[in-house]
Amino acid sequence: MIGRHDGRYVTGVLVACAFLPLLRPQEYVLTFLYNLFSYAAMASAWNILGGLAGYLSFGHVAFFGCGAYVTGLMLVRWGWSPLATAPLGGLAAAMLALVAGYPTLRLRGPYFTVVTVVMVLAVKIVVLNVPWTGAAMGLWMPFPPWDPFVSRVIFYEAVLVILLATLLGVRWVLHSKFGFGLRTIREDEDAAAAIGVPAFRLKLGALLLSAFVCGMVGAVHGHDRSYLHPDFMFDLHPSIMIVLMALFGGRDHWLGPLIGAVAVMIADELLTVYVGTEAARMLFGLLLIVVIVFLPAGVISLRVRRQPKPVPAGRGLMMP
Amino acid sequence: MLLEVVQAVVTGLLVGFTFAVLAVGFSLIWGTTGVVNIAHPAFAVLAAFLALLASRRWGIDPIATLVGLVPLFFALGVVLHEALIKVAAKRTRELGLASMIFTFGLASFMENGMAYVWGPGPRVLNTAYTGTAAQVLGVSVPLPHLYGALLGVATIGVLYGFLYHTFPGKAVRAVWQQRDGAALCGIPLHRVTALAYGLSIASAAVAGVAMGLIYSFYPAGYMVWLINVFLIVIVGGVGSLLGAAAAGLLVGLVSSLSVLVIPFVWTNLALFALLILVLLIRPSGLLKR
Repeated sequence: MIGRHDGRYVTGVLVACAFLPLLRPQEYVLTFLYNLFSYAAMASAWNILGGLAGYLSFGHVAFFGCGAYVTGLMLVRWGWSPLATAPLGGLAAAMLALVAGYPTLRLRGPYFTVVTVVMVLAVKIVVLNVPWTGAAMGLWMPFPPWDPFVSRVIFYEAVLVILLATLLGVRWVLHSKFGFGLRTIREDEDAAAAIGVPAFRLKLGALLLSAFVCGMVGAVHGHDRSYLHPDFMFDLHPSIMIVLMALFGGRDHWLGPLIGAVAVMIADELLTVYVGTEAARMLFGLLLIVVIVFLPAGVISLRVRRQPKPVPAGRGLMMP
Repeated sequence: MLLEVVQAVVTGLLVGFTFAVLAVGFSLIWGTTGVVNIAHPAFAVLAAFLALLASRRWGIDPIATLVGLVPLFFALGVVLHEALIKVAAKRTRELGLASMIFTFGLASFMENGMAYVWGPGPRVLNTAYTGTAAQVLGVSVPLPHLYGALLGVATIGVLYGFLYHTFPGKAVRAVWQQRDGAALCGIPLHRVTALAYGLSIASAAVAGVAMGLIYSFYPAGYMVWLINVFLIVIVGGVGSLLGAAAAGLLVGLVSSLSVLVIPFVWTNLALFALLILVLLIRPSGLLKR
């Protein structure tokens, strides 16, 4: 538990952010916050499955891309605005999660993780080779019909709403029976099943929920970019960022991924400007190593009341 | 048609051996320490890049660069174990899961480091025999594939001899089978696992050069290799050297035969489907006793 009122302060700041455009800030500020909010929403959503249930997924970018492509195609073929169809994008992502997750959520540990990577590569191959999706040419969408500042504001508000809804949702999950069930699965799935936790149903629910959020964010992003290409919609790098944010912030608190997103996005912005993209990504790789080895409970654990030390690894835990 | 099938079988088997080498090292680390080393194929890509650089610089065959690369990568493997795995194992409770995250971080570090230094574009190891083939009974045997496969066979042979017929090798297998039991018998776990890491990364160097002879390679390309490796290890069973070798051949065959039936771009999809099927039907490995 962090400070009792921290959650309220953070929610207050986020709600205040909704009125930020009235001050007519620079577009750069809005763009930065827009990216920050989208990543924070996806990291929080990832946390439901990856953080609580301990099912490590590197595949959430597939849900993001799926939401973007489905709503983008609806815009191109039928002229429906992605802002209206974003929930459909989320549903499409959840459908993908259902198809990929139903058979494979019985797998554990590394087996499941590799399946999530396979899912990204498979979806990418399909999109690249089915002409209806624009294939390797990419999908060109009509520009949003507003002037640049107005469209910035609209996209900004859209992801802010998604973020707030996600945070409240995750907060509810954490304190519900659902969330406790997920955490028992993380601690010991067999024991959880033995005491009657419906492990498979909970895992599937967690996966669908987190896929839904990523699909919604993807829908907004696709509309904002107006051009979709499989190479960057299904790039694995955002998945690394999402995992890094959630773990860096801390997986056992609903604010953890948000804190992680703020830290990582600021670092990303500074590094990209001052040392270049590749060097920045190298540093993130290193950061992921440092976090998982030295701060497995995230920076939020630094504010936690003193906890008993973790039990030293015992038999069968493979200590080299 | 028959000739085409025979041709595909030959190519598939040759390619399969190179994949098998990559998989054997991956399986070795997974078996001995429970670490799923996502960066394993990234080490292979790194070896291919270094071989390209060295062979251009000194005008020698990429295969000859292995004389330097194998000891170098053995040392890298030991460093990886001492600097990272040992520290991580002390501090995390579930090393299997944690290792997937931090080796993913390591792979991302290596990928972007390579892209930073050499650029993200694809490269090939150009040799005197690139694009040439020997004709055997009407079937053409591409020489790069042949040399890659020979490298693979030699490496697996050496590893087999080491693991089954020398004392330190038997110690590695003992740790592989029963960690605590091995420790109780007085086997120095740390030294043996360091040895396993050295061997694993050194074999990744061989695999990288062998695959660089056949395929183009680029920093981000390790991901597809990883999926192939994973498939091979799953089919062969974690912790089985000969299982991995046999599964490598099987995967090579499937990927080359599937080209005859479905368009080239879909072959990876066929492999993915195979992987998921095997995982669902028998996750402990098809070929494991």
